[in-house]
Amino acid sequence: MNSEKVIFAFFIVFAMTLNFGFFIGGMEEVSHHSEYELFAAIVVNLIATVLKFGDRTHLGAVFLATSLVADIQLVAAAIIWGLSSHVFNEAGHDWLPVVVSLSGGAFLANITSVILLVSETLSVRR
Amino acid sequence: MPSILYILLRRLRLPLIALIVVYAIFVVGFVIIPMDGETHGMSFFDAFYFVSYIGTTIGFGEYTPQSSGVFTDAQRAWTLLAIYTTVITWIYGIGSLLTILQDPAFKRLLKHSKFARTVSEVREPFFIVCGYGDTGSQLVQALSGENIRSIVIDINEDRINELEVTDLRVPSLGVVADASRAEVLLDAGIQREWCKGVLALTTAESTNLSVAITAQLLNPKARFIARADSQAMQKNILSFGANEVINPFETFADELALLIKSPSLYILFAWLFAKPGEALTEPVFIKKGHWILCGYGRFGKAVYNQLSQAGVSVRVIEADPNKRDVPSGTVHGSPTEAVNLEKAAVKDAVGIIAGTDNDPNNLSSLMTALELNPDIFTVARQSEHQNAAIFEAAGLDIVLQRGEAVAHKMFALIRTPLLGDFLRIAIRFPDHKANMLVSRIIGAVNEEVPDLWEIRICKEATPALHNKVMTDSVFVADLLRDPRNRQKNLHALPLFLKRGKGNVMLPEDDRLLQGGDIILMCGTDHAEKLMRWTTENVNIIDYVLNGSVESHSYVIRWFRKFFAKYASHSTS
Repeated sequence: MNSEKVIFAFFIVFAMTLNFGFFIGGMEEVSHHSEYELFAAIVVNLIATVLKFGDRTHLGAVFLATSLVADIQLVAAAIIWGLSSHVFNEAGHDWLPVVVSLSGGAFLANITSVILLVSETLSVRR
Repeated sequence: MPSILYILLRRLRLPLIALIVVYAIFVVGFVIIPMDGETHGMSFFDAFYFVSYIGTTIGFGEYTPQSSGVFTDAQRAWTLLAIYTTVITWIYGIGSLLTILQDPAFKRLLKHSKFARTVSEVREPFFIVCGYGDTGSQLVQALSGENIRSIVIDINEDRINELEVTDLRVPSLGVVADASRAEVLLDAGIQREWCKGVLALTTAESTNLSVAITAQLLNPKARFIARADSQAMQKNILSFGANEVINPFETFADELALLIKSPSLYILFAWLFAKPGEALTEPVFIKKGHWILCGYGRFGKAVYNQLSQAGVSVRVIEADPNKRDVPSGTVHGSPTEAVNLEKAAVKDAVGIIAGTDNDPNNLSSLMTALELNPDIFTVARQSEHQNAAIFEAAGLDIVLQRGEAVAHKMFALIRTPLLGDFLRIAIRFPDHKANMLVSRIIGAVNEEVPDLWEIRICKEATPALHNKVMTDSVFVADLLRDPRNRQKNLHALPLFLKRGKGNVMLPEDDRLLQGGDIILMCGTDHAEKLMRWTTENVNIIDYVLNGSVESHSYVIRWFRKFFAKYASHSTS
């Protein structure tokens, strides 16, 4: 067992599960979407991205790309949340569906990452 | 470049993760800890803002998220922790970044990638020079004098630094790398169409061999000239399609042996290898008699073999008493001491060759020899390029410098590839033939060293000449006519003609030219310009061949033809 592989897989799967947790729920229901969960998803996603730096294989490049997609989508969601509630002081939660759908996109990218991880693991028959 | 970015990021993985984790912990902390008089903490937006500015020690102090404007003690305690932790993490991160940027390996990588990028932007013919030693530096200098750029690869950083501070007419590019690795040669642009040739001049024979293999496989069209120190390696490199392989010790010894055996050939070679613009050296004639050779190293051995093959008697003085297989009659002892020189019969010798690799010793033994026998002919081997001034001041008859000898020969072979073929035949010339050739060259050129050039009869290089050769008969003599006055001859002499696999030495005036011929010419600089004019310009070649100038306007030619026809009709 390789501890580096454990950490790597842990963060990739964890990023997906956190993202899913945030994404699931009614599109316009604020109580279904915890901001803590979004924050955690962003942090775990960023760490997963940094872990993928420097792998020069083709698979490594695709890993990095999917991670970057998830990062961009999640950070965009967080920026929309922050700006809407602080800078523009919007009363309601009209912006929530945008945030949720952005995280949904990031979730797809996370799934791709996990599929790659599983297929890579299966190709190593040890 | 992207690979460098990835390497940087990979090395910074740990500091980056540390920063993300520390920020996450403190942001969450501020979100959880309740504000003064409220039940909830800061929002994520406020918390991230706050942690960002304390972490980078910007410290605005304007932040009052709570209504009272005062932090609670719990918030203060967390802030204290946050300040120290984030500052330390930042220092760690920035410190790692600086360490990587200062890392010699990383710096070399940066330089190398910049080198590869600059090479890929070169849009003019260039030569790749592997090894920037004595020979390499002189070759780069000579090439830049001809406005040819060199790309230098050397494993020694000091030499590349030396290249960077040398003032060259055409700036050269240099990289510290091992030329035996194929990717280094690829980065140096070996596969680019602008790469005209590869010169392997390193002192390591195995490196020169692997450069030969790489050059042959990656760019068989480029000229390849290598240096080899042994005959076995010389053959080995030649088998990989090298155009010329030069053995510095042999080249050097050959030159010396030639001087003694056949002074006129020596002077011929000296002229052909000389840099353009130098004055002609006077031929020297040496009396027959016995010679003294100081030093029996690699050079000494080569000289001894050459001279004894030529039937010259040589006495060797060798300083190392333990040296094996020295020739019989060798005097053991330092050649700088008069006793040892006298033992070798310096008073009766016609010449002395100081051939050790120590410049001061060579000078000193020659000086001593001159004191004992003022008529002796002195030949010095000079090892260090920077000692040139001392050797010049010593007033010796001949100073041979290995790097210079090799550089001159290589440069001549680069400029006129046919010269190699010519020399291989010329070296077997008997004395009277060599004398005749020398006097013919003196007749053709005036005071200056002859300039060498090649006329290649093909559509691209000489369109006008090629056209004429295909339709009319053009003789060698026609090429030598002055395009300004065809009754006069140019100051030029055809040395060699190559037609397919056949060679003609000194082609006669009435030899017919054919398409695909390559002719090696020798003459003045001015003659070269005029001859090239003839070969490239249709009007000029018409004049040179027939003495008439035909108009090249279609309308005028049509009118002329029409009138000629009309005239013939009316007369009949």
